[in-house]
Formats: sequence, structure tokens, C-alpha cells
Amino acid sequence: MSKRILARLGLLIVVLFGVTVLTFFYTNLSPVDAAEALAVRRYNRPTAQQVELVREELGLDQPILQQYGSWLWNALHGDFGNSYNTGRPIVEELTAAIRPTLVMAAMALLFATLISIPLGVLSASRKGGLSDRSIYLFGIICMSLPNYWIGFMLLLAFAVYLPIFSIMGADSLKDFVLPALALAIPMAAGNIRVFRSSLLDGYNSDFVLYARARGVSEWKIANLVSRFALPPLITMLAQSFGFMIAGSAMVESVFSIPGLGSMLVTALGARDTITINACVLLTAVIFVLVNFIADCVNAFLNPQNQKGGGL
Amino acid sequence: MIRKIMHRPQAVLGLAMMLLVFLVMLLAPVFAPNDPMQLNVAHSFAPPDAQYPLGTDELGRCILSRLIYGARASLSIALPTLLLLAVISTVVATLCAYVGGALDRMFEVVSNIFMAFPPFLVAITLVGLFESKAASIVLSIVIAMWVWNARVVRTHVLRERNQPYVITCRMSGCSELRIVFRHIIPNILPHLLVLYSTGLSSIIIMISSYAFLGLGLETGTAEWGAMFVNANKLIFSHPLFLVYPGLCILFAAAGFNLFGEALRDICAPREG
Repeated sequence: MSKRILARLGLLIVVLFGVTVLTFFYTNLSPVDAAEALAVRRYNRPTAQQVELVREELGLDQPILQQYGSWLWNALHGDFGNSYNTGRPIVEELTAAIRPTLVMAAMALLFATLISIPLGVLSASRKGGLSDRSIYLFGIICMSLPNYWIGFMLLLAFAVYLPIFSIMGADSLKDFVLPALALAIPMAAGNIRVFRSSLLDGYNSDFVLYARARGVSEWKIANLVSRFALPPLITMLAQSFGFMIAGSAMVESVFSIPGLGSMLVTALGARDTITINACVLLTAVIFVLVNFIADCVNAFLNPQNQKGGGL
Repeated sequence: MIRKIMHRPQAVLGLAMMLLVFLVMLLAPVFAPNDPMQLNVAHSFAPPDAQYPLGTDELGRCILSRLIYGARASLSIALPTLLLLAVISTVVATLCAYVGGALDRMFEVVSNIFMAFPPFLVAITLVGLFESKAASIVLSIVIAMWVWNARVVRTHVLRERNQPYVITCRMSGCSELRIVFRHIIPNILPHLLVLYSTGLSSIIIMISSYAFLGLGLETGTAEWGAMFVNANKLIFSHPLFLVYPGLCILFAAAGFNLFGEALRDICAPREG
């Protein structure tokens, strides 16, 4: 198993390196001229000379490879530079912004788990029945809803009509309940389906038949099956964690939460490429790491059932 | 196949919803009672009446007409996106999986790197790609999603390419191109339809999210997501204005999802 994990660690490093390249490529793909944008902010109507001056100051006049090199080198040392927009160090802004987003996404992950495990079990145990079919329909509706709309509807129901929650703010854990639900609900559909079908696969497999024939207790069988059925769900949940961080942009805007998503949207509006870089890189790194952790957990849960596959 | 679809109420319902959305898109000028762009500030927030069945928004524009034209705005971007996405991911995945060897291994590594980015993250990062906002949205979604689709297509091609019928074809002297286009692609087509039907619903949601964030189309375009721009104020005064566009998105997305999922059950029956 340690060999497997080592091999994955190697792939992880390759992927992380690729992620830095691709992040830099994505932000440089757009024709947006950050130097010009900053010059406009600074001088209002900049002359060509002033734009060049800003470009030199930002180091954007250097060859692209050199720009990438120095950006990567500094990023590895925890320095993302200063925001073109606010002038403050990006690391400071990132640490402030990542906290609410992570709290929200972690809570959403909890909700997604709490929704998908019982519903998955219910729908597998009553397969073909009314509850199975209603859960299926519920899943289809969930995956057809934009998370920001769920957010507004939750606000409308539980903050405007029934004032249980406050309409904005990110101070106490309670403020994160509605945003986390809005993030979790669209994710639940896929998770329920995956868990349902792997539970059914598990219960229909030969080892369960054999265990039953030997008179193993149902409780032990459930334990066996869950070892078999949980890995796909864990993979899905890990992936949805990353999707939820990316989707936080909309939900944060609904609930006025100053998180990573809002930071990215502000930076996009201000053409603040260096901040965009940092936000995208951070989200991708979190995504990759969470998937990696899920892989390791799965390898631990079910050591045999491991075929190739990526991160 | 078609008979199987017709025997599934879920597929028929999905298909009917899809057709209705397409119909609304094509015939928007016929259905819409008013011009969706017609400003009439004196007439803002008018209650529903005969001329404005759902009332008017803060600029006095007819809500119903904007919802109807919203189908047009959304699908006129979603369909080209889907087409481009389908072509690119199918071609790349089929090529890599069918040729195999080093090319396929390279695809694995590259796709791992591309898949390190959640699609929506890439899509909003790339949004300023072109002068034309519609073209930027199309291309950014394609760049964001191609690899996720290509991975699925690749799995299906890999499964087919070693089937006995492929080997038989090759022995009987079929050219490789013929094998791919006449045998493999038709065989995996139902799976592709599942992928692209559900994919269209996520594209519709993505487009509305763009507009919601203010990164979407030109300001003022009648688009479902864009109707949430003043949501923070509307939620107290006119909450129904936030309900309508969401229901439209739900209807359109659910139609494609119902159909796609029913098709998935036909291809690979769900137990139960």
C-alpha cells in the first residue's frame, strides 16, 4: 500500500507542477492587459509612456517564461506579490478570504454527506419502490438548480418570511448554514446515485451471499458492504468539495460573504491578473489535495479494489 | 431504441420539456406579449395585468417577455457550446483511446492536470477571452469542460476497441477510419447522448451563473441569470421576481436531465 501511495505522491507532484503552468497559462490566455488596466486606474487617461512604465514596474515586459519562473519561485516561498488593485499583499487577502469559504465548504460537505448517505441507503433498500423513485426525482430536481437560486429561495423562506437566520453576515457558524445548504443541495444528487448503486452492487455480490450462507450477522455484513460501497462515495464527496469551493463565487455573492469566490470575482472585474492567478492556484491546489486525501482513505478502506486511475 | 424511449414516461416527459424549451426559443417573438427591451420607467413594478401578465421590473420591462426571451439567450449560447464541446471531446478522446500507447498515456497525464481545476473556476477565469462576450462564454465553457467529457468518452472507446467485432472488421479489411466512424462511434452514441444531454443542463446553469455574477452578456440582455442583478433589494419588495427565472432554469435544465438520465437507464439499466 505504501508503494501505491508513493506512486500517487509522484503523480501528485507532477500534477501540482502542471497546475502552476496551467494556472499561469489560463490567466495569460485572456487578452486583458493588466498594465493598461492599472495605468488607467492610476492616471485616469494614461499616455502610452505611462502604460509602459507600469508594465515595467509590474515586470510584465519580461519574457513570459521568465515571468512564470519568478512567479513560481515566489509562490513556492509563500509570496504571491501585491494585488494590482488594492496594493496589499495577496497572501494577507487570501488568508482572510479563504477562512469563510473553507468553513462554508466544510459545512456543505457535512450536509452533502448527511443528505446522501441516508437517502442512498433508503433508496437502495427500497429499490424500485416509491421512496426510491421519489429520491431519484428529488435528485434530478437538485441537479437542475443553480446554487445561487437555492440560496435566494432559502433566504426568502428562512430569513425573510421566517426570520430564523440573518440575511447577511459571516460571523457565527449559524450564518453559514443557509449558504452551505445552497452549495450542498446540487451536489447531493450525484452522490446519492453513486452510493445507491455501489450499495446494491455490494449487496448483490458473491461475498455477501457467502457470508449470509455462513450465518454472518447482518450487522457484520453491513460493515463489509460499507467498506466496499464507501470508496466511490468518498471520491465523489472529495470532488464535490472542490466544486463547492469553485461554486462559492455565486453563493458568497448571494449571502454577502467576503470569501475566496468573491475575491476572485472582484479580481476578475478589476483585471487584477496577479490576484486571479493566486485564487485559481489556491483553489486548484485544494481540489487536488482533497482528491489525493480521498484516494488515500479509499486505499486504506479497501486495499484490493484499487485499479490505476488518476488523482 | 426509439421505442424504448417512448415506453418510458420519464424520457417522454423530458423530451416534451426539451421540445417546449426549443419551441419557446424559436418562437419567442410570437409568445412574448411585449418587447423584452422596451423601457418604461414610468411603468416600473407594475402589478400583473392583461398587458403584462407577470408585471414589470424596475425599468418597466415586461417580465414574462424577458423570461421567454431568456430561453433564447440561454440556448443560443448553450447549443453552440455543446456542439463545440461534443466535437472536441469526442475527437480527442477517440483518437487517444483508439490509437492507444504513448498518446493515450500522455492524455492521461494531461487530463489529470486539466482536471485539477473545477470547471466553473476555469470558465469564469477565462471569461474575458474575446471582444464578443457570447464567444468568450462559449469558448471558456468549452475549455473548462472538454476534459471531463473526454474522459467519459475515452472510457467508452476503450471498452469498444477490443471487442470481437472490431477485430473481425479489421480482419475483413475495414480501414481504421471506417471502424471508428461506422462501428465504434455508432455503438457508443447512446452513451454520448446521455453525456451531452445532461451536459447541456449544466451548461445552461453555468451560463446563468455567469450572468448572475455580472460576467455574462451585454448589460440589459434578457437572460435568466441576469434577472438576479438587483436581487438583494428585490428579495424584500418583489420576491416573486426571483422565483420566476429560477423556475425557468429549473424547467429547462430538468428537461435535459430527465431525458439524459432516462437514456442512461436504457443504456445501462439501473438496478431496480
